[in-house]
Amino acid sequence: MKLFTITRRQFIKMVSGGLAALGLTPKVKGTELFSSTSLKKPAVVWLEAQDCAGCTESVLSCLEPDLKTFLLDTAAIRYHETIMKAEGSIAESALDEAVNEGGYILVVEGSIPAADARFCRVSGKSSEETFVKAAGNALVIIAIGACASYGGIPRAGVTGGQGVSYFLDKHGINKTLINLPGCPCHPLWFFDTVTAFLNGEIIRIDAYKRPLKHFGQTIHDNCPRRPRYNANKFLSDWNNPGERESFCLALKGCKGYTTHGDCPLIKWNDGVNYCTANGAPCSGCTEPPFYDELSPLYAREE
Amino acid sequence: MGKITIDPLTRIEGHLKVEVNVESGRVTEANVSGTMARGIENLLKGKDPRDAVYVTERICGVCFAAHGWTASLAVEKAQGTAALPDAARILRNLIASACWLHDHVLHFYHLSALDYLDLSVLTQYTGLDPFIIKIRDLVKNELNNPPVEGEYAGPLLPSYSADEYCIRDVELVAGLVQHYLDALSIQAKAKKMSAIFGGKQPHQSGIIAGGVTQVPDPTQIYVYRSLLDEVASFINNVYVKDVIFLAQALWPLAKSNLGVGHQNFLSYGGFPEADGSYLYPEGAIINEALVENNRSNMVPYINEDITNAWYVSGTGGHPSESSQDFDLDKPGAHTFVKAPRFQGQPMEVGPMARMMVAARREDHPAFMNPSVQQFISLIGQGMRPGVIARHAARALETQMLCKAMERWLQEFDSLAARFRNKVVIHDTAHWDPPYSGIGVGMTEAPRGALGHWIRIVDHTIGNYSCVVPTTWNSSPADDAGIKGPFEQALLNTPVPDENNPVNIGRVIRSFDPCLACAVHLYTPKGETSEWIVP
Ligand code: SF4
Ligand code: SF4
Repeated sequence: MKLFTITRRQFIKMVSGGLAALGLTPKVKGTELFSSTSLKKPAVVWLEAQDCAGCTESVLSCLEPDLKTFLLDTAAIRYHETIMKAEGSIAESALDEAVNEGGYILVVEGSIPAADARFCRVSGKSSEETFVKAAGNALVIIAIGACASYGGIPRAGVTGGQGVSYFLDKHGINKTLINLPGCPCHPLWFFDTVTAFLNGEIIRIDAYKRPLKHFGQTIHDNCPRRPRYNANKFLSDWNNPGERESFCLALKGCKGYTTHGDCPLIKWNDGVNYCTANGAPCSGCTEPPFYDELSPLYAREE
Repeated sequence: MGKITIDPLTRIEGHLKVEVNVESGRVTEANVSGTMARGIENLLKGKDPRDAVYVTERICGVCFAAHGWTASLAVEKAQGTAALPDAARILRNLIASACWLHDHVLHFYHLSALDYLDLSVLTQYTGLDPFIIKIRDLVKNELNNPPVEGEYAGPLLPSYSADEYCIRDVELVAGLVQHYLDALSIQAKAKKMSAIFGGKQPHQSGIIAGGVTQVPDPTQIYVYRSLLDEVASFINNVYVKDVIFLAQALWPLAKSNLGVGHQNFLSYGGFPEADGSYLYPEGAIINEALVENNRSNMVPYINEDITNAWYVSGTGGHPSESSQDFDLDKPGAHTFVKAPRFQGQPMEVGPMARMMVAARREDHPAFMNPSVQQFISLIGQGMRPGVIARHAARALETQMLCKAMERWLQEFDSLAARFRNKVVIHDTAHWDPPYSGIGVGMTEAPRGALGHWIRIVDHTIGNYSCVVPTTWNSSPADDAGIKGPFEQALLNTPVPDENNPVNIGRVIRSFDPCLACAVHLYTPKGETSEWIVP
């Protein structure tokens, strides 16, 4: 069963001929409520559904900006299962209280099962029910990671995991949504977006609701192996030093030419490395068809 | 009699529900449930076998490298790799071990330590640290009724109220909260180390079927080494000391039976050395007897029971053969977690299991390791194998790992000096998936014994199955009614105040649960075979 399918061809067409290419980019304005003049620290409600906590871990892998400042000064984390001290009924009421007060940034991590809501339940409630309630009172919604954005890996399984936009549509909820895909999401994609919201800046997004600031170019556009791609030099053996150091990874399944993201520019983990620089093909982890529509990941498609 | 439900049990990875009955202030019955499933193995069916490395890594955002590594071993076996290049072994050790440093530090400071601190005493803090002052003010505000809106101390509050085992000395609490804040950047630096060789973290890309994708250059080695120095110094001088301090300050708790379970322990052996042995030795302990010390011999004795799990009845069995279909309406079932058993017994896996096994393996070099000896001496002084012992084992094995990492870096240095950039890192001859093949990969993940089983049919994945550490630990009762390790460890837990069942979380968190890992199982019906033992 597939509830969300875009064929690769449709997808490439949409990207190359779509809104983004015409410069007709939708935009989202950061909310005045969060402007830096406000005394109130913005609340963050972070829901985890069918997640692996990898996006939480990714945000926590950030060395710059400083996490201490974010946790203590920038935002009030009202609910986050993985890091909050509260548990059980105390955690449940912390969530209820925050949702009833409203006006928070809702961060969603992980897909939500569309095939049967019972595949993900917390506090006895399905994550769909909790999400719908929390979305209704949110100021804005950030879908963090591939799963929350477009369903990611779980979309291909029997639980039919889907992203936030699917459930906003299903329940007719009209809220500002920013998708920050990636497996996981890069910490700077998250912090930049939150900061832009807080400062009331305009965030330009593409047809898939990704901020153009980070998803306006492809991996291929800025890949250090690009000169070799242009010269038709393709890696076939990782043991060959010349090939390993600079040859293009297209024969090993690289999806960099249709994958949007600034990984080559900002790199990962405090800027030390990223996939193709390290000799690993890009998997296309920021694109809506990820994962099943992009498989095989380590071979050129037939 | 009271019935207590804690759902969600937070500060763990994944979604966990705990239900206990309490009589005369003690837990008399416990049920633990994993409440989320994604069906990851099943969706691999029909995919390129090499994808398994990438996809199973996404089972868990904390122990990603362990899954990628284990999947690689399974795929390599199935594809015919006879021997992994030595450089690939060393680099995988270095990619995965850095993730252990991250996992263990984060688990102690950010997930567990809060169970032992009364943060309200910070309102009396008179020191000068700007961040502690900030926390003091936030805590003060939140304890006011009503608090100033917006000024919440989340994620540190709200919480259950402190009990007799909470540290209340303001200086000590401030010190540990300071370490909580320092550890934020330490665990991030450990992930950064791993990314230097692994591409990025979480979800590294450098480990692939057949080997690794990169030979680090001298600058990368240098950066890794200097970060290791910094992280190891925190581990030796802060983390291990804090845990040992806590064990001593809470010695009555360490000597108590809080969190003591079946006392069956399993380790597959972790981190391969040049001579084919493992840094953390292999072993299985049942009823105090070391019944096995070789991982290959363990494979046939692993079985999964699904009596109380949401899978179609009659589908349990050996992970290579069990056919699993979700049955969300199954009467009596309460969890997505299956019940793996070794020789029919529930087994605890993880740091304490590794330490208990090492303590019994006098034939193995690990036995004489100072960290193992320190653990043995704590047990000798009367520490019971419960909550505090798990934290101590975790800290001490981290210390042991830091030393080994320095050694692996030297091993890599000498390979690089001999071969320069011609170091072999990949088994290219077996890169393309064969028509058919079967394989199993076994490693130790930060949370314990991890196994992946693959069957290749027509160049694609015919069947995939993982038996994961938290599946062992959080398993429900089996058909014989024998409880899983979490549930057993919860029995008899003191709950003097039913509105404040803080000991429940202490017991569960001491295992470092990962429910996203534990629940993932979904494999197609009707696959049977003999499996190649590594
Ligand atoms: S490795 Fe990938 S992103 Fe880089 S040049 Fe080749 S195809 Fe493009
Ligand atoms: S390089 Fe590609 S696979 Fe790697 S993180 Fe960026 S978008 Fe994802």
